[in-house]
Amino acid sequence: MPTGGFSSFERVLIESRSQVDTAVLLLLAWVLVKRRGVSDSQRRRRLAQVTGHFRHGHAPTAMLEIAREQNIDALQLAAEVIRRDCDAQRRQAVMHQAITLATDDGTLSTENHHVLRFLADVLTLAPTTLATLFLELTGVALGRPEDISRQAYWLEHDADYREARAREEREANEREAREAKEREARQAAEAAAQERKRQEQARRDEVQREQAREDQARREKARRERARRDPGPTPAPSDAYKTRRALAVLGLASGASRADIRRAYRRLAQLNHPDRFYTQSDHHVALASQRFQRIKNAYDYLIKASL
Amino acid sequence: MRDLYQRLALAPDVDAPTLEAAIEACPNRALRQDAEATLVVASHRQRYDETHRVLRDIGSLRARLGLTHAPHWQGEAANDFSQPSSGPASSLDTLTSRVSEAVSLFDRFKRLGGGWLLVALFVLGACVGLVGGLALAAGLGVL
Repeated sequence: MPTGGFSSFERVLIESRSQVDTAVLLLLAWVLVKRRGVSDSQRRRRLAQVTGHFRHGHAPTAMLEIAREQNIDALQLAAEVIRRDCDAQRRQAVMHQAITLATDDGTLSTENHHVLRFLADVLTLAPTTLATLFLELTGVALGRPEDISRQAYWLEHDADYREARAREEREANEREAREAKEREARQAAEAAAQERKRQEQARRDEVQREQAREDQARREKARRERARRDPGPTPAPSDAYKTRRALAVLGLASGASRADIRRAYRRLAQLNHPDRFYTQSDHHVALASQRFQRIKNAYDYLIKASL
Repeated sequence: MRDLYQRLALAPDVDAPTLEAAIEACPNRALRQDAEATLVVASHRQRYDETHRVLRDIGSLRARLGLTHAPHWQGEAANDFSQPSSGPASSLDTLTSRVSEAVSLFDRFKRLGGGWLLVALFVLGACVGLVGGLALAAGLGVL
C-alpha cells in the first residue's frame, strides 16, 4: 500500500462529477502545453472553450499546471480512466479535439507528433484512422515527426547554424587548398632537386664506366702478356673445398669414415626422398627431389673421392 | 528521433564540458556530427532536451500501460525510448483501493463515537500531563 496522501490529481479525480471528463481534460491540457508560441492565458482560454460542455465541475487551470509538470502518475491515471470508461464514439471525439488543439496554428510541434500518437494508442485508434482523421481536420497528411537528433534537421531549419557551418567549411576548404598548393610547391622543388642529383649521378657513372673500361683494357693487356709468358691450364677448385662442402651437405665433420658417410646418406635420403611428399603439392615434391639430388651428388662425390 | 544521451552513454543532465569530451571521444563519425549539431549549440540542446523529456515520459507511460508494442510506437523513437514493462499494476485500481480503505477507516471512526472519542482522548491526555507535572513538582520540592 502506498504511503502518503492523495496527489492533487487524485483528489480532483475523486471529487470530479465526471471522471472521464477530468481525464480527457488533463490529456488535452498536455497537448496544449506542448504547443509552441502560445501564452498561458491563451492556453487557458482555449482549454475552457474546448471543454465548455464537460461536466467535471472544477476549474481547468489546475489541469494545465499538472500537465506542465508532466506528472506521469497523473497522466497514467488519466489514460487508465479513459481506457476504462470511453466508448468508441467518445474516443473519436477525444482524438478529434486533441488534433484540433495541437494544430490550431497550422503547425504540429515535434512533441505533439509523439503525444498524439500516444493518445491514439491509448484510445485504440489504428494508424489509418488517425491519418484519416488528421487529413480531414487539417487538410494535410500526417507526416513522420522530424528527427531533431540529426545534423540535417538543424542545417535545414536554423539559418544561423547553416551559415556558421558553411563559413567553417569554406575556411576548411581554403586552408586545405592552401596546404595542397604548398605541398605541390614543395614536391616540385623536391623533384627538381632529385632531377639535378640524378643528372650528377649519371655524369659520375659515365666517368666511372670510362675508368672501368680503361681498367678492363689494361687488365686484358696484362693477362695477354702473362698468357704469352706462362700458358698453363686454369687451376681447378680445390678438392679439399669440394669435400668439405659435400660433407656439410650430409651433415658430417671433416674426417668422417666411409661407414659414417653411408649411414648419413641413408638417413638423409630416406628423409628427403620425393616419394615421401607425394601426398603434398607438386611444389613440395620438386623441392624434395632437389634436396635429394644434392645429397646424392655429395654422396657420390665422397665415395668416388675416398676410393 | 534517437536518444543521443543513451548512445553516448551519458545522463541527460550532463554538463557541457563532459558532453563535449564524450562527443570528441565518440568513434562513430556520423553520430559525432549529429551530436555536435544537436547538443553543443545551447538553443538546439534546449529544444532537444524538451522533446527528449516528452519521449522519455511517453516511453515509461507506455511501459506502465502495456502499450510498448502498440501500432503507433515504432521506429527510432520506439527503439531508443522503450522501457522494460513494469507489470500489470494499475494505478486506477490502486487509487480505488486506497479510497475504499480511507472510507472504511472513516466509518470505523464514526462507529466508535466520532467526535466524543476525540474529546475523551484529549481529556485523558490532559489528566496524564497534570499528574506527571504534579509528581515532578513534588519531587523537586522534596529535593
